[in-house]
Amino acid sequence: MNKKIGVYICHCGGNISDYVDVEKVRKAIEGDDGVFLAKTTMFACADSSQKQMVEDITDQKLDGVVVASCSPKLHLLTFRAVAERAGLNKYNYVHANIREQVSWAHSDNKVGATEKAIKIVKATIAKVRNAEALEPVKVKSTKAVAVIGAGVAGMRAAIELAEAGAEVFLIEREFFVGGRVSQWDDLCITDETGKELITRLYNEVMKHQHVTLFTGAEIIENNGSVGNFEIKVKVTPRYFKLQCSGDELKKAIEVCPVEVPDGFNFNITKRKAIYHNYPSEYPQLPAIDMKNCTRCGKCEEVCKAIDFSQTTEYLTIKVGSILLATGFDPYEPPKGEFGYGEIDNVITLPQFKRVIHYNDDKLIWQGKEVKNIAYIYCVGSRQLNGDNKYCSRYCCTSTIHTAITAKKKYKGIHNFHFNRGIRTYGKAEVWYDESSRLGDIYLQSFEHDPPIIEHRNGQTFVKIKDLLTANKELEVAADLVVLVTGMTPRQDNSIGNLLKVPKGRDKFFNEIHMKLRPVETVIDGVTIAGASQGPKNIMESMNSALAAATKSFSLINSGELALEPTIAEVDDTACEWCGKCDEACPYSAFEKIEKDGKLIAKVIPSVCKGCGMCLPVCPTNALNLIGLTDVDVESMIDALIPNA
Amino acid sequence: MKILEYDVLVVGGGIAGGESALNLANIGYKVLLVEKELSIGGKMILLSKVFPTLDCAACITTPKVSEIARHPNITVFTGAEPLKITKKGEHNFEAIVLQKPRYVDVDACTGCQLCEEACPVSVTDEYQFGLAGRKAAYIPFSIASPRAAAIDIENCILCGACERVCPPDCIDFTQTEEKLLVKIKSVITATGFQLFDPLKIPRYNYDKAKNVITSMQMERELAPTRPFNTVLRPGDGKMPDNIAYVLCTGSRDKSVGNPICSQVCCMYSIKQAQLLLGALPMADVTIYYLHIRAFGKGFNEFYAQAQDMGVEFVKGKVGKITEKENGNLMLRYEDIEAGVVKEAEHDMVVLSVGVLPNRGIDEVFDNKKLQLDPFHFINQTDILASPSKTSIDGVFVAGTASGPMDIPDSILSGGAASAETTSYLRKEDSK
Repeated sequence: MNKKIGVYICHCGGNISDYVDVEKVRKAIEGDDGVFLAKTTMFACADSSQKQMVEDITDQKLDGVVVASCSPKLHLLTFRAVAERAGLNKYNYVHANIREQVSWAHSDNKVGATEKAIKIVKATIAKVRNAEALEPVKVKSTKAVAVIGAGVAGMRAAIELAEAGAEVFLIEREFFVGGRVSQWDDLCITDETGKELITRLYNEVMKHQHVTLFTGAEIIENNGSVGNFEIKVKVTPRYFKLQCSGDELKKAIEVCPVEVPDGFNFNITKRKAIYHNYPSEYPQLPAIDMKNCTRCGKCEEVCKAIDFSQTTEYLTIKVGSILLATGFDPYEPPKGEFGYGEIDNVITLPQFKRVIHYNDDKLIWQGKEVKNIAYIYCVGSRQLNGDNKYCSRYCCTSTIHTAITAKKKYKGIHNFHFNRGIRTYGKAEVWYDESSRLGDIYLQSFEHDPPIIEHRNGQTFVKIKDLLTANKELEVAADLVVLVTGMTPRQDNSIGNLLKVPKGRDKFFNEIHMKLRPVETVIDGVTIAGASQGPKNIMESMNSALAAATKSFSLINSGELALEPTIAEVDDTACEWCGKCDEACPYSAFEKIEKDGKLIAKVIPSVCKGCGMCLPVCPTNALNLIGLTDVDVESMIDALIPNA
Repeated sequence: MKILEYDVLVVGGGIAGGESALNLANIGYKVLLVEKELSIGGKMILLSKVFPTLDCAACITTPKVSEIARHPNITVFTGAEPLKITKKGEHNFEAIVLQKPRYVDVDACTGCQLCEEACPVSVTDEYQFGLAGRKAAYIPFSIASPRAAAIDIENCILCGACERVCPPDCIDFTQTEEKLLVKIKSVITATGFQLFDPLKIPRYNYDKAKNVITSMQMERELAPTRPFNTVLRPGDGKMPDNIAYVLCTGSRDKSVGNPICSQVCCMYSIKQAQLLLGALPMADVTIYYLHIRAFGKGFNEFYAQAQDMGVEFVKGKVGKITEKENGNLMLRYEDIEAGVVKEAEHDMVVLSVGVLPNRGIDEVFDNKKLQLDPFHFINQTDILASPSKTSIDGVFVAGTASGPMDIPDSILSGGAASAETTSYLRKEDSK
């Protein structure tokens, strides 16, 4: 049963061949047991090379193939597909990584790199000799998607999925949909307001009979995996009956003795524990915030719609895919950062937008009219010392747009922009240009030399060494200081933890590959959209939401999924259930079953990822990894260290 | 006229159009992808590495291109463009597509390149952006899809040398232009962008100073399929050791009619600077900039990495570039931090040219108006809720056809366009 093996060694257009002598590698392995054909190629992944491989496999009747090229993360699937097209079971293809693991890692040692490449290729050939044909694990999938988060991205994704033909569960943690955009007035790029956009999306969502919206709801449990997630949703009641008289509600709010900061206005105003939503929030139903309610019962006396008998509901929903659109939190400066929380006319950009919303003719902050506004950019972004090294992307444009709005709305406003280099990318450049024409003043410093804020004699000053005027020290007396706070990942990452979605170094959800798989995560079936993945403006969030919807839909569309068969298997006779494999498994892929009168472990094929964590902990050696057996590994080690 | 029927016509086979086509094809729709160049893959397939991950561009593009080329639901026409698209009604478009002759039977060509060797005519290679030459019988570039020869009939002297050496006898001078009538239900315009032509800024002397190149030319010098196998000054073949980048060449510049920011030049220049420091460890790289726009995921960190590697960043606008006798360049620029006008000498200058719209697609639409924005990109009529919608129902836009964007954003936009096209097509299905 000797295999006829074809080996292809890729130059990667110099990425490999600049450091590894690929011809030497080819010569070193062409006489290996089973190697029938050994070739070098400029780009193994190029269409023409793939065609050649298909021809070789069919004409020469090869039954084992190795491509020595880049990381399998990039092209394992590409070459498996080549094998399949040539009629060869794709698990008879084995990938050797001689780029990330060789040429790039050892660019300073060409001789050593070539030697290492030879060993890796030899070990891969040893593995392919043992390779067996495998069939994918077929799993039926539920044609439904859970969309988590009903901000603009989540709502848009839900609409798209419903239109494509999926059943959609739109799950929002708050009592109201709309996310951040419901808090903004005029939106950048168009003249539409946040309220108008949210209204439009909400109406679309409600129109679709295949979208079920849950508010005050969160996922607390997940059993299952791609194709068949079984999620448990906790739905908190509003404690209101659907019919509610406006007058009675007004009275109920009046009598409520509890006052808490109103998060919708970024805490610049207060609201009661019983509250009615803003016009831009949907559904248009009041709610009682039980975290703060003292249950004094005063509201009940004046309003018949209040119903404290409502209880928290738990639902179990089955979906094939989960789309995360959980958004961001605005950066909250710690007390004292640029005077925040200490000097009373220092506020954040989101707060400033709400201040503009509430002031019609004159801009008033804390009883005083505001004329001079100082904007301090990059607060919480591009940090020199803090964790947030990233740029928050939307804030330069948003600030300039807001500054123009203020200038046009109120008389006599002077805007001073203390920035670190304005990043109004793309067409947003026109607002930068417009604000400059309107007379806004831009002052710039670098990260290591930020502006300084001082409060003396009842007046707030912002001081900067302005590099636009040859590093002269300049000072502005500001009536209001606006800290341009960036986007941060959600503080509450419970959903991320629950689904085990990895985060990038910026702590936002991480995609598999920015360009090849930009909305997929390593958790099969879980896609990401909007600002949960990193700072984005509305249009960019929409694009990613639509792209994620497409990806989630294509997963569940056919009703059946083909999963990797390279998973763990249990030898029933050797297993004496001890539970160690279950403890070691990061995906909860084991279940305890009884078979022939004894307890043993069973692998749930759709959950197991074949990571192998369970194998070394098994005391009776009852576990095996299909496609990477002990025999495979030993043969590879023998090839790597022939004389050991 | 031959009549063909598909569900969707995708105009433009770059990374955005390709992504749209693949998504639609995977759901089961029949797609016709029309590309005016001889290969699909757009600009991306010609790049070196991509920011901020420094993945090799070819390694990402070629498998996608290969998947597109062999997908059973996608038909690709290269060297073809739509002449006219008429909307007959909802879910009912007719396009007249011009297939230009390649003078080679693509299916028979094995890509052996014997015709190239035999061809006596040498001309400038547009796929190497003028850095090298090619023959009149040529394969566009080594990773082109299809990897098949073509005859550049304008420069061909009809000597017949290629025909005589071609083993499968696939060269065919009798091919003529063909017009096809294509019936489709929906259209995606993914017509991409063109690069700013630096000749429009005579002060930079791009035509006279031999060692002033564009960023796309530098991209080719750094690419795996690079013409010289190293980085050289085109003027004299010397390895440069003091390279300058002039950002915002043709962007944010009303004097050349382009007031907007091109969104990618800062980052690709920073990327090239990092690659240059790898390729030429002794070289100095200086980037003259107005503002560094490192706004995307991982971009600011990538910028910081370049600073740590020793790339010099000078805040200032370059006013003029003059060539010295030895081929070196004098840059006159405003040093904004110092507040004075200065001069600096470099031995090679890279103009970081901006992104401009590809013109003409709006004129293809016959009875409906495809609106353009003030910068002549395709107007996104509902940009905040449906970013790929255009002024014509059933016609969607993907990628840089609607404005400057980087590769990840183009791919997402391609995904969005395919999603909205799916919705539009489903509306017909449900009727």
